[in-house]
Amino acid sequence: MPALLEICGLTAGLQSRRAITPVVSNVDLDVQPGEILGVVGESGCGKSTLAAAIMRLLVTPQVLQSGSATLRIDDDKAYDLLNLSENDLRQLRWRHLSYIPQGSMNSLNPVLRVERQMTDALLQRGLSKKEASDRAIAALELVSLEARLLDSYPHELSGGMRQRVIIAAAVSMHPTLIVADEITTALDVVTQRQILQELAAIRDELGATIIIITHDMGVVAQIADRVAVMYAGEIVEVGSVSDIFQQPLHPYSQGLIASIPRESGQRVEGLPGEAPSPWNYPAGCRFHPRCPKVFGRCREHAPASQPQGPDRWVACHLYDQETASDD
Amino acid sequence: MTANSDATAGNSAADGQAAGRREVFQYALRRFGVYLFTLWAAITVAFFIFRLVPGDPMNILLGNLTRAEGRQRDAAAEEAIIARYRQIFGMDEPLPLQYVNYLRKAVLGGLDLGPSFVEYPAQTKDLVFRRMPWTLGIFTTSVLLAWLVGTGLGALIGWLQRSRLSQLAVVISTLLQITPVYLVALGLIIYIGYTWRILPAGGPYARHLQPEWTWEFISSLLTHAILPMLSNMIVIGAGFTLGMRALMISVLGEDYLTFARAKGLSPFTVLKDYAFRNALIPQVTALAIIVGATLNGTFIIEVLFQLPGLGTLFVQAMGLRDFNTMQAVVLFSIFAVLTLTLIVDLALPLLDPRIRRTA
Ligand SMILES: Nc1ncnc2c1ncn2[C@@H]1O[C@H](COP(=O)(O)OP(=O)(O)O)[C@@H](O)[C@H]1O
Ligand code: SF4
Ligand SMILES: [Mg+2]
Repeated sequence: MPALLEICGLTAGLQSRRAITPVVSNVDLDVQPGEILGVVGESGCGKSTLAAAIMRLLVTPQVLQSGSATLRIDDDKAYDLLNLSENDLRQLRWRHLSYIPQGSMNSLNPVLRVERQMTDALLQRGLSKKEASDRAIAALELVSLEARLLDSYPHELSGGMRQRVIIAAAVSMHPTLIVADEITTALDVVTQRQILQELAAIRDELGATIIIITHDMGVVAQIADRVAVMYAGEIVEVGSVSDIFQQPLHPYSQGLIASIPRESGQRVEGLPGEAPSPWNYPAGCRFHPRCPKVFGRCREHAPASQPQGPDRWVACHLYDQETASDD
Repeated sequence: MTANSDATAGNSAADGQAAGRREVFQYALRRFGVYLFTLWAAITVAFFIFRLVPGDPMNILLGNLTRAEGRQRDAAAEEAIIARYRQIFGMDEPLPLQYVNYLRKAVLGGLDLGPSFVEYPAQTKDLVFRRMPWTLGIFTTSVLLAWLVGTGLGALIGWLQRSRLSQLAVVISTLLQITPVYLVALGLIIYIGYTWRILPAGGPYARHLQPEWTWEFISSLLTHAILPMLSNMIVIGAGFTLGMRALMISVLGEDYLTFARAKGLSPFTVLKDYAFRNALIPQVTALAIIVGATLNGTFIIEVLFQLPGLGTLFVQAMGLRDFNTMQAVVLFSIFAVLTLTLIVDLALPLLDPRIRRTA
């Protein structure tokens, strides 16, 4: 099956007076129709930049440098999101392409009622007032919220309710693809779990494809089908959830899994050190200063992403084929 | 799907709306209390401050009288005159008692603010009422116009923040904003009024006219009002422009703006419902603040353009140490400013639903 979204060589960075510092470098990633793909990595590794770049919602000083992101919908139509005109892109938004940005607590306009904010985009797409409000109510139901909430202002809602309203708004047009950035981060554990369940149910009911972005391996374990592990602006490993959790290949993936808090409470050996900021991404393998398995060539040569069996990719010199290596 | 605590919390959100209306009422009530208190505090401060200014009004009055009559009086006669005047102006009593009497007459005596020195025996109240339309007319019109223009312009250059034109507008506004209002007024008087003779730059209307409902008089009145109002508008408008621009730029960085864009709304809707609508709230508050801070600028403008408003009255009264008139001017100015501020503040809950909670 062709990928629903095919990201190729996506590079985005921060513009300063003189130069652009890449934050996300050369990302290649496929998203299959109907799946939930988790993008996971420590805070600051460029996940939100990647998401906003795909959505074409980078704000200064963030800039897109290169790459393509091809969205295939309705069988034969393919759109390169990164090179589409602003106007054409606007036609895709909400109908085919929904975004739940990080910081959803503040994603609702404080001075407009929920109803207005849930229906304005629908009305602009030609729905009647009745249809729009029916859709809004149906969407609220998907996240266990009552229709009467439409009359509220955002400040009258709890954090969990606001997050649900945002999700409801984002799915109200039954979009093809939903990009959800850290949707559970600011919430208590119980609400987190409920919202993830609701999101999974939405995928099943609406047949949507979801990219869920999180720093939390636990979220990935609960909801995702496949995982892309991100470190310092690069995708370092891709695989199914079961593969990655049972047998992580990349030392960074191994570290992330090892530092998931256990039921017993004690944190087992986590990741030592800190993730680098875009201004000092190390040369060679960007993970090498923190890698327990670092060796000679890691310090000079960046490892390329290599297939490791069906639907499994890893970028680490440990898995270089000896014949292919030239040192 | 899961039942959850949040869904039940939704009921209280809807119930909260009835409570919201009550809270708005309480907000209005509290706001009115603050209004009355501020008015009282201002009168009190004005009452004592002017009496601390050195110079006895009686000596000044007597000096003027002597000069007018062209002859000296003996000391006893002078004493008698002064005593008589002190009695008329209620200044023969100890200060605290004067203060109490002043308040009593002002509140219970139907705004009896005493007679004036400047135009004795005219009542200060009547003097102020006669002069006030000039000040309020120029002040209110120019501040409101400046606000409208500045808000529109600021929103636009904030929205187009990176364009050349927008950056140029910022530089110009900044220069205008830091220019003192009297310099702008003098510049307009000199160039537009005298060098180029485009518009009249002195007096309320042409000298040969009488106030009457004729087109000639009204048009003269209006053309004479243009430069004074423009002086005020340029400086205040530049401030409003920069303020609105900054508000727009900060709103443009808000998460809800990204979300609005993500929804695929038309750029115009994003601008109108999300950016402008939200930047407008603090901009309205700014109007309330500026109203208070720019009245003195209007007084200066009146003096420079020789308009018979409260500003010129105040300057006259100051020369005579005419406490009654000075107090009356302050009282009415504060009253006008506070009332405008009150109106703005009471309008805010209409714009901002959150005020019901935070006020
Ligand atoms: N607007 C911005 N201004 C300055 N730095 C930014 C901006 N956006 C992102 N960055 C930097 O880029 C890096 C990646 O950020 P982000 O994409 O938000 O990471 P993540 O979502 O994985 O936490 C961080 O070091 C962050 O500080
Ligand atoms: S390439 Fe080397 S440094 Fe990088 S993760 Fe693999 S082993 Fe560690
Ligand atoms: Mg993020």
